[in-house]
Amino acid sequence: MPAGDAFTPDQLYDLERAVRYAEETSGLHFSVYVGGADSETRPFALELFNELDDPDSSVLVYVDPAGRRLEIVTGPLAKRQLSDTAAGLAALTMQTSFATGDLTGGLVTGVQQLGTHAHQPPLLHASDEQHKL
Amino acid sequence: MIPQLSGHSLLVFVGIPLLVVAVLALLVFASSIADGPRYRPGLSWWAPPVWINGPTATKPDPANLPELPELTGAPGTTATAGTGVARTTGGASASW
Repeated sequence: MPAGDAFTPDQLYDLERAVRYAEETSGLHFSVYVGGADSETRPFALELFNELDDPDSSVLVYVDPAGRRLEIVTGPLAKRQLSDTAAGLAALTMQTSFATGDLTGGLVTGVQQLGTHAHQPPLLHASDEQHKL
Repeated sequence: MIPQLSGHSLLVFVGIPLLVVAVLALLVFASSIADGPRYRPGLSWWAPPVWINGPTATKPDPANLPELPELTGAPGTTATAGTGVARTTGGASASW
């Protein structure tokens, strides 16, 4: 691994795979940012969140390893699928792994958990195919 | 009286044990050497920021982000900075 990189290529692959899984499961946009904050973590996470392409339907997981802070930000539409309670449970999962030094494992598990919580079963009665029968 | 050790004896009784110890140490530390520096809570963070699945446009440099108005740390705050669009966000916070 190049000196100074936070994750190895294998770890990055695992993280990207977890993000893809969460997106496919929930239909929301997931993003993970790992780095230090210049100010308070929540405002900084909100600033990053607003830079996303579609913040309303996005979920941002922000991790500040130096400050040992974790922020999960959900947009107005994403919030309908992913409640603050569910986000809190995923945060607890990640917090446990981070405390033992396992950044990658915590993020992978947490993002997958967020995707699973945000999963919505398809509404069969809303399908156009039903009306054709 | 200390018996004289021949070169062959030195190889068998010193060289081979040292070799075994070296191989075992290599096996034990191989994974951590390959993984590089590991995150240790409480110590400084050395790596540059990583943004996975970030915005498709040019990623902003966190050092050049504009100043934000004072916001409370609780979830459910209204974010207005950056785009100027107010939106009610949710989520959670944690520290370790």
